[in-house]
Amino acid sequence: MERTEESLTSRTPLHSVVGQRRSKNRSYHQSYRSCLGVASRLGLTPAVTARRLNTNRKASKPHNIAEKVNPEYLALLVKTEWQLSYVTPLYQFRHTQLKSYARQLSAFIVAERQQGLAVEVGTLQNSFKVSLSVVEGMSEADDDPETVLIQIHSKSLFPRQDEPQKLVWSGWLTCINGSPEYLNSLPKDFTCLPLFCYKGAENLSSLVKSWFQRIFDCCFGPLEINHTSLQWLVALWTNCHTEATIKHLKMLWTVPSTPPLQVTYTVEAQDAWELWSSVRRASRGRGDEAGWIDMGEVTSFMQAIKSHFYRHFKLDLSAGALTQVSTALGSAKFSGRIKISSSRCVSTTLNLLTECALLKMPI
Amino acid sequence: MSLLKPFSKLPGLNTASILLVEDEEQFQQSLADVLVKETNVTVTVRLAKSLPLPMDESRPRIDLVVFIINLTSELSFQSAEASLKYLDPGYFLGKACFMVTNARKASVPTERVDAVRKLATLLHCPLLFAEDQTSEGVIGAAERLLTILKVSAGLVPMTTALYLSNLTRCTLPPDIDQPSFD
Repeated sequence: MERTEESLTSRTPLHSVVGQRRSKNRSYHQSYRSCLGVASRLGLTPAVTARRLNTNRKASKPHNIAEKVNPEYLALLVKTEWQLSYVTPLYQFRHTQLKSYARQLSAFIVAERQQGLAVEVGTLQNSFKVSLSVVEGMSEADDDPETVLIQIHSKSLFPRQDEPQKLVWSGWLTCINGSPEYLNSLPKDFTCLPLFCYKGAENLSSLVKSWFQRIFDCCFGPLEINHTSLQWLVALWTNCHTEATIKHLKMLWTVPSTPPLQVTYTVEAQDAWELWSSVRRASRGRGDEAGWIDMGEVTSFMQAIKSHFYRHFKLDLSAGALTQVSTALGSAKFSGRIKISSSRCVSTTLNLLTECALLKMPI
Repeated sequence: MSLLKPFSKLPGLNTASILLVEDEEQFQQSLADVLVKETNVTVTVRLAKSLPLPMDESRPRIDLVVFIINLTSELSFQSAEASLKYLDPGYFLGKACFMVTNARKASVPTERVDAVRKLATLLHCPLLFAEDQTSEGVIGAAERLLTILKVSAGLVPMTTALYLSNLTRCTLPPDIDQPSFD
């Protein structure tokens, strides 16, 4: 009897020690996190918890961007297919010194090209003229820094009288409706323009990126539009149907069967709109605020589209992957290419892409 | 009779039976080839696409049910979820586990990994991440399954499946539901 009692008492201290250690770990973790601020949450927690898009999204008001932005800039942004990448915050980037940046960038490009590149017949004769400009009116929130547009024109050394300058490369850095919590947590000298869209020759893109990395101490990286974001784009573009008709909703799925199938699934605009509004009506009965779109509505919309396909073709698209979405408002590919075809509802798309860029960016 | 019950039959001597449930029926084949090579214990591997299984009197007592989920396909996850209903609750005391492949691919949305984690945590089952493309990955996954299988079959002294599941079950990180930004 005595022996069993002793053994019992000897066991309890073990448990209490374990309990104490656990709570110490938790408090240590929390204090460590709190002293590093918002940025630490993304750095300390494992990758699974840090990379998550918002589950609620506000459907934007009919924001006619064409009124606020210079129409020639808008014409440049629309109707071209951009390659996306994310950018970490830029150090000491001043919107007022764009002209000097343009001069430095063109000098850099010329110097790099002369640095022992193989002679390319014809193009060596051309010199490059770089222009950086601010596109006003694109940002929605007050904290967003203004969008910067970079254009590289090539002009031949001996121009004829009215030979126009050819635009060989263009890119723009933007931040639409970035998270104010994150923007305010950055130190004072940093400008956050996380979304970088560019189009043009690959060597010029790498030259521009390396110049930015050298001068502003930032990092570039490829940005894919993942499956969840593509689903969000399907829902958001269908939601804009009342303001600007989407004409059709076309989705491209790849199904990993043997041989691999590529399915192009086109839905008429009116049918897509009716399906979407019925999904919204079903969920609004639960008392959702008008204007907020929930992730559950997006998944039920996609589920309805997939089950319709299954009913007709007996092929379950859940086994495959969504790779491309296109409507009359734009098209988005999984590899990170976006094309905005109409100037309406641009801010919704850019809002989502800014959020993707902010999430993918390593702090 | 559509439920698979854990203790409806007597165990065999020095034998263990494992059931691999996978919708795509690829990884289970390579896993089975490695599992049967085990020499200390006679391992019987049964393969299935989904539950419920058809009535079969000659099926031995299943000691461990493994649900293999390929994260690149949503269908795989949905089929595993649907199969869970046909498993007797006695299996969730350490005789069922989840094995997940392709978790590192960039095309996998994090929501799916989170959903699998939440499912495994809800059912108190271990969650194993495996790599199915290389032979070393398959051998490594088979070794981990064999460890759990030997315990579930009662072949390891002083250890039961329930005891082991307390140590190996999946847990959720505390901020799994918080989005990164408001």
